[in-house]
Amino acid sequence: MSSSTYRAALEKVMKDAMEHHQHTMIIGQGVTDHKGVFGTTLGLADKYPSRVIETPLSEDAIAGICIGASLNGLYPINTHIRADFGLLTFNQLINLAAKYRYMFGGLFEVPLMVRMVIGRSWGQGAQHSQSLQSLLAHIPGLVVVMPSSPQSILESYQYAITSYKGPVIMLEHRLMYELEFEKQETNLVNPLFGSIKIRVGYDVTVVATSVMVLEAKRAAEYLEGYGISVEIIDLHSISHPDHQIVLNSIRKTGKLLVADTSWACYGVSAEINRIINETDSLMLKSPAISLGMAPAPCPTAKSLEDVYYPDVHDLVASICKLHFGGKSNSIPLPMKQSMTDFYKHFKGPF
Amino acid sequence: MYDRDLLLYEALRIRMIEEKIIDLYPSDQIQSPVHLSIGQEAAAVGVCANLNISDWVFINYRGHAFYLAKGGPLPQFFAELMGKSGGISKGKAGSMHLADPNHGIMGASAVVASTISHAVGAALASRIKGENSRVFVANFGDGAMEQGAFYESLNFASIHKLPVLFLCEDNGLAVHTSRGDRQAFDVKKLSEAFGISFISIEEGYEPSIVAEVSARAITKVREGSGPVFLLIRTLRYKEHVGPGEDFSAGYRSEEVAKAWKQKDPLFEDSAKFDEFKMRINREIEDALNFAYLSPHARVEDLLTDVI
Repeated sequence: MSSSTYRAALEKVMKDAMEHHQHTMIIGQGVTDHKGVFGTTLGLADKYPSRVIETPLSEDAIAGICIGASLNGLYPINTHIRADFGLLTFNQLINLAAKYRYMFGGLFEVPLMVRMVIGRSWGQGAQHSQSLQSLLAHIPGLVVVMPSSPQSILESYQYAITSYKGPVIMLEHRLMYELEFEKQETNLVNPLFGSIKIRVGYDVTVVATSVMVLEAKRAAEYLEGYGISVEIIDLHSISHPDHQIVLNSIRKTGKLLVADTSWACYGVSAEINRIINETDSLMLKSPAISLGMAPAPCPTAKSLEDVYYPDVHDLVASICKLHFGGKSNSIPLPMKQSMTDFYKHFKGPF
Repeated sequence: MYDRDLLLYEALRIRMIEEKIIDLYPSDQIQSPVHLSIGQEAAAVGVCANLNISDWVFINYRGHAFYLAKGGPLPQFFAELMGKSGGISKGKAGSMHLADPNHGIMGASAVVASTISHAVGAALASRIKGENSRVFVANFGDGAMEQGAFYESLNFASIHKLPVLFLCEDNGLAVHTSRGDRQAFDVKKLSEAFGISFISIEEGYEPSIVAEVSARAITKVREGSGPVFLLIRTLRYKEHVGPGEDFSAGYRSEEVAKAWKQKDPLFEDSAKFDEFKMRINREIEDALNFAYLSPHARVEDLLTDVI
């Protein structure tokens, strides 16, 4: 079975785009330097100097430049080495890119991709740690995807670049870049839309995003040893999740844990609960649980950061609470261990 | 040389079309804000006299004049303002978001300065694709020069020597605030600090002067030596938004406006205008009939073209 890192998949889709689609342009801070957006654009500027464009620190204008270039036939890929810089582009993304097709009655299309990398741990602090999926997925006209595996990257990026005619936001997670993944089939008919059931279970449903999908797998494998069967759904397309996959799973288990990389309120957790409640409010046998970042900006100090993010410890505790209700149980909780420490030394498989 | 009568005809046409909007406004057939170009027609007409259909203009919410001067169709314009399905954007755009890619009129935005960078990006794509001699016009008002994206766009266009005309219609007002209360900089020095040559036109009321001077700027851009900044001094006769005048509000001088209007050739008492007006009125009536007969924007289109 072949394996690949998240970073290698990103490098491959960037390289393929430049090689096979002559209208592709990669533009952003650092795309031509020796680090090449964490190794995902290395060597491309030498090979395609006119289409790999280093930028001044002007995120707002660069986002608009991408829209203009797209209108004139290019496929721009705009990179942000940290997602919080993407906040400087919200005027262009929300007021223009998201609306360009609708607002002008279908006269225009603006196919383009924005890659935003979420930082986490090693003291990324209050800004670089942010996860903007719910802010962006709120806006009609934007497609927001959080790939949680190399396979998802290979499928969804290629589809976006070759076939989709609107703006796509790819929220990549830095923590996953160097992890080895075994090849898996994502089973998405259209890789920009929909969700993926990645583990079948019968007791509790975990709906997870991005790196939390990996944490959910760790929790599920741990609990399997104690006879608790966990179903995991990788939400994948934050803006256009597959409602039926989520609903069918909850109908079966009646228990829901949402594990997201951002804050819980007004976010992915709120949306999943909305979908369930508006379909059948009696579907849940017990109150759902949401896990996300603590409701505060992210602290830099490691002792605080370690408790700021939910991890396998919190997932196992939450799943046990859902499974046993208020009743006590004898399942020991795994140690609270920062994901950074865990994944830094981690070598697949997932 | 430009046929001055032809330019005056175009400018008068735009003014009469907007005056028709003023007539119609109380009837509530146009149910959305209108930012009229009355007083600023000569800028659009003079510049567009030098543009080809393959040149693109990126306009803003005060976009009627550029839409019309660049060749945007009039029947679909009125239908668009009335929210009809026969509108250029099926009624989804209205007055503030006019566009017509068939005539190189790219989308108008209501957020000040937000389309300047689009012109730069389209020019960058043109360069990458190896196109020759196309011109990309970023059209904005003096208020837009206070936005960060404006500076970022000047910088990027200059670094890459892109074929962009930065075209400022300077009417001296941002909504109700005078330029002097908003700007600490000298725009000529600013432009030149970015290595962008600066040309200004004080006689923004006269389309033939605008045409002749802007020809120099546009030719320079077309030759591929990099962006050029063109500033046209002009005057907005009406209120910021809406069909009325608001000199009584006291935020600007009616005397200055009166002096300016005395130089406005569209107020000249000229026999040729009678003939122009007859032809233009006929065109307006026909266009309005198209708009009246067009059905309202279709409910089935509410959720089309979202993604």
